[in-house]
Amino acid sequence: MSDTPETDTLEATMDNPVSGIDQSSGNFKYDMTYDFDAGTGLNERTVDYISSVKKEARWLHDFRQSALKVFESKPLPTHWATKDLENINFDKIRYYLSQGQKPKRTWAEVPDDIKATFERLGIPEQERKFLAGVEAQFDSEAAYSNIKEAVAKQGVIFMNSTEGLREHPEIFRKFFGKVIPTGDNKFSALNSAVFSGGSFIYVPPGVKVSHPLQAYFRINAESFGQFERTLIIADEGAELTYMEGCTAPKFSTATLHSAVVELVALKGAKIQYITVQNWSSNVFNLVTKRGLAHEDAEIKWIDCNIGSRLTMKYPGVVLKGRKSRGEVISIALANDGQHQDTGAKMVHAADETTSTVVSKSISVGQGRATYRGVVHIPRHLKGCKNNTECDALLINTNSRTDTYPAITVRGDHHKVQHEASVSKVSAEQIFYMQQRGLTEGQAMSLSVNGFINDLARQFPMEYSVELKRLIDLEMEGSVG
Amino acid sequence: MSSLEIRNLHVSTGDKEIVKGVSLTINSGEVHAIMGPNGAGKSSMAKAIAGHPDYLITEGEVLLDAKSVLEMESDERARAGIFLAFQYPSEVPGVSIANFLRAAIQARMAEGEEIDAAAYYKRLYEKMDLLKIDRKFTSRSVNEGFSGGEKKRSEILQMAMLEPRFALMDETDSGLDIDALKIVAEGVNHLRGPNLGVLLITHYQRLLNYIVPDHVHVMIDGRLVKSGDRTLALELESKGYGWVKKEFANA
Amino acid sequence: MVEQSASMPAVADPIGAFTEQALERHLASLEKAPAFWLERKRAAYAKFASLPLPGRTDEAWRFSTVSGVSLDGFTPAAPAAAPAQRRPAGIDIAAAATLAFVDGRPAQAGPIAPELAQRGVVVSTLTQALAEHPDLLREHFMAQPQKLGSAKFAALHEAFVEDGAFVFVPKGVEIDAPIVVVHAASRPQGALFPHTLVIADDGSRVTVVDHFVSAGDTRQFACGANDLYAGHGAKICYAAAQCWSTKALSLQFNSTVVRRDARVQSLNIHLGGGQARHESLSQLQAPGGFSEMLAVTVASGAREFDQRTLQIHQAPNTKSDLLYKNALLDKARTIFSGLIIVDPDAQKTDAYQRNANLMLSDDAESNALPGLEIQANDVRCTHGATSSRIDPEQEFYLKSRGIPPKAADELLIFGFFEEVLNRLESEELHAALRTLIRSRVRM
Repeated sequence: MSDTPETDTLEATMDNPVSGIDQSSGNFKYDMTYDFDAGTGLNERTVDYISSVKKEARWLHDFRQSALKVFESKPLPTHWATKDLENINFDKIRYYLSQGQKPKRTWAEVPDDIKATFERLGIPEQERKFLAGVEAQFDSEAAYSNIKEAVAKQGVIFMNSTEGLREHPEIFRKFFGKVIPTGDNKFSALNSAVFSGGSFIYVPPGVKVSHPLQAYFRINAESFGQFERTLIIADEGAELTYMEGCTAPKFSTATLHSAVVELVALKGAKIQYITVQNWSSNVFNLVTKRGLAHEDAEIKWIDCNIGSRLTMKYPGVVLKGRKSRGEVISIALANDGQHQDTGAKMVHAADETTSTVVSKSISVGQGRATYRGVVHIPRHLKGCKNNTECDALLINTNSRTDTYPAITVRGDHHKVQHEASVSKVSAEQIFYMQQRGLTEGQAMSLSVNGFINDLARQFPMEYSVELKRLIDLEMEGSVG
Repeated sequence: MSSLEIRNLHVSTGDKEIVKGVSLTINSGEVHAIMGPNGAGKSSMAKAIAGHPDYLITEGEVLLDAKSVLEMESDERARAGIFLAFQYPSEVPGVSIANFLRAAIQARMAEGEEIDAAAYYKRLYEKMDLLKIDRKFTSRSVNEGFSGGEKKRSEILQMAMLEPRFALMDETDSGLDIDALKIVAEGVNHLRGPNLGVLLITHYQRLLNYIVPDHVHVMIDGRLVKSGDRTLALELESKGYGWVKKEFANA
Repeated sequence: MVEQSASMPAVADPIGAFTEQALERHLASLEKAPAFWLERKRAAYAKFASLPLPGRTDEAWRFSTVSGVSLDGFTPAAPAAAPAQRRPAGIDIAAAATLAFVDGRPAQAGPIAPELAQRGVVVSTLTQALAEHPDLLREHFMAQPQKLGSAKFAALHEAFVEDGAFVFVPKGVEIDAPIVVVHAASRPQGALFPHTLVIADDGSRVTVVDHFVSAGDTRQFACGANDLYAGHGAKICYAAAQCWSTKALSLQFNSTVVRRDARVQSLNIHLGGGQARHESLSQLQAPGGFSEMLAVTVASGAREFDQRTLQIHQAPNTKSDLLYKNALLDKARTIFSGLIIVDPDAQKTDAYQRNANLMLSDDAESNALPGLEIQANDVRCTHGATSSRIDPEQEFYLKSRGIPPKAADELLIFGFFEEVLNRLESEELHAALRTLIRSRVRM
């Protein structure tokens, strides 16, 4: 590591061009023409550097610096979370790479199995290159500006969060860091110190955005950054669906990804936030996502996690207004060497609020899927309801699943129900399908797809099709 | 002799008005049948009279011997002599039929007065025999895991034990096969007499072959649109509700 | 509890009056105890003294009021005190044998039926058992790991335990009537360490009832443990009725070992204690084993009931079934934290866990942490937790039969508990415990 990013030499960088990438899985080379480089490691100067490159206002600079102190003061949450977190070497991480300085490789260097996966998933040629890290930036300006133009007519603001901060500080600042305070957890503090990229969306009162807004790589490369920060505000009566990620394995060049996503649904607004993520298996993906629902508002998280070494993500809704509704739909698939530690957090803070959690996980091989949930109904509320269902499917003999909900209910005017079950694929069912001529692998895929079918249907069409193909891929080799 | 007088009754559930001004007087010894299509408001009216908290009486009166019951809690109405035989009786896990009925009878006794256990069981077994209910049922939890027919018979058993002045019988025939229906009807006929007034709510006239009513009323869209004697029920069976609706619309 | 906390030092004293001197005094009073016993007590004391009190960030104490778990002001019994004579009132049931302890010392023992004694059944004090069956004690007394957060207090129990009940049922012997053990606390500010050890040898059958009572409503510290060991094909039914003073701090640790084709049913009824924590560990060690874990809690006042359970399936083809029901009144708090662990290769496990909280007051608080850790795929594991008020439809149904609201709620609350009590095979025990709950609970 280096304490002085400015004097970080090229040689030092060459030694470890992009820290964290699994060097064993491919012999990659990278172009090293960094205009801006914050070096590895994290200290006050790294934060100064990021803030100055982004030409940020004083308040934001101070915000980042104080967040850094919070990050440094907080211990890793290993009293409840996995000790694997201790394997993150914060000093070896590169906290900022600006646009255009992403490492590159050539298509020829991309491993064949990854190419085959793109093929099987039907990923368009150009997107494949982006995903494989061959192209640092996918030129999607055309598609992007079309969406932007269409929604701009309705008064919708849709841009990356850096632009958002610059161009709409009056809106941004009012909501920024309010749903997820810096000190919420160690990783939200880290994000608050070094965030870069992500989306900023504001939907004016009564506007219903008919098409889902996508922060797919089609929008901008930076949204895939390590420390993205997304803020979405739906004003009174507004409606919006937002989608991020994609089902293709995302080749990450960094081991640590820590995003913060804040949603605010004002009175009567509806936000649906859809995520599909498939990280490469070297990645620690530690994300804080939370929405604030005002009176009669509705926030729904649809979350699908595949891949990564460790994902910790518990989308939450703070039900602040009367009759507001929160929902988390979660699918997790943990394969060998992967730990999906996902769940939901529902904080009821007003009367007649309703929350629903449906979580389905699949553990393959030695994969481990964990559900962790919080439902909190404090004193003197009336008519709150929560329903939580967690189902785990274990594919192989010693696949692992855990369930750790925590449910606090005060008072006698509520109805709260939690149920969880664990099952395996029925041997009878597999045999039946084999008798009809399917291979064991195909039968297994069908079964697994059946297990998540009711949730997968909630994804937009193209996502659910990709998801199905992806499960087929993940199930290959899981049997026999 | 007693009377149960329903006067211009309006009932709402949620924001919706279901019963829109029904007037009807039942005297002891009489059996009235209310017939009508699904959603006419028959069951809502019965539940409102029994004091179900979800059914709000917005207008009108329910008088038991000229005294309003509307200010009374549901248990007070029950002790005053109004019995509701539920269409879908609640399951009450962990509470045995014997204990349940004991508590209900105890509640009707003066303070300090204790139930005579021997006499109570003697009477209970008599009524159970009458309704062809296995005596083992007394130790089973109220309605828990009962078949449709068992639930209905358990309702009649309770009615027999609690000796109400007026019984509102909500779709007592629904879900019963013919044998069960006969047993239930027999039970009701056995209880019929000068001290009991009955309001039978039913969708089909089939029940009325077994429990012959003195008066028949047709309820459509929250109102009683036609009243008559037993023959009205037969007419409805052959012609359906359509003609009453038409007649009502033309009126 | 409020008064005490006012005078509490900023940093709670991790050993309180349970000093080394106090231990030495206690050990000196055990004239006839074998050397291994004293050694174990010394080792346990060292462990107790070295471990910290539970803290706010201890996962095993999540949601607990850890500030209430303090040793301040409690004193171990003076060794010189005369043995108590009074036999406390027990549970009204015809017993095969009875034992009573006051402040941890034997008070009275009912005679064991001669035919049982002839067949080798032992119902005695731990002191007697130390003399006559030291090997059984060595093997089974507090022999299992403490996995649920109270290692410190379990060590304290082992270090200071004076006496307790010892039940041994030899191979193939079946006893119908229950063995009833009464543990009474009489000293204000007194600490006591009740213990019941039940060893059911292969193919035997026994029912044991523990009854915990306080004389007077004073502050006390009850730090109790029970060990249940069911050998191959053995059947144990264990019921505990905890009726300590409403100002008592109660910590209880249960360990259940279930061997091949054995079956253990344990029912814990929690009625007393100002702050009461119960930890229950069931280890299913061999195929065919079945552990049924039941509890009924009436939480009233501003009291806290904290239940931590662990069902560990260590062998294939084992079964566990947990049903814990809490009724919450007034400003009471409950915590249920239960975990099912299925070890790798413990295939064909059938595990169930359910916690139901009946909320009867707007100021009551229930916390439920039902957990699963599953590492084998051919299993049936489910859990559920609910928290709700009395079902309004049921309430209306009862009221529509003329039952007044208060009586209706009472019927429904006891009905809620009946689902648990109905699991007992013995009608007599069921009736006795139902009567006990009714006598202690006024809604």
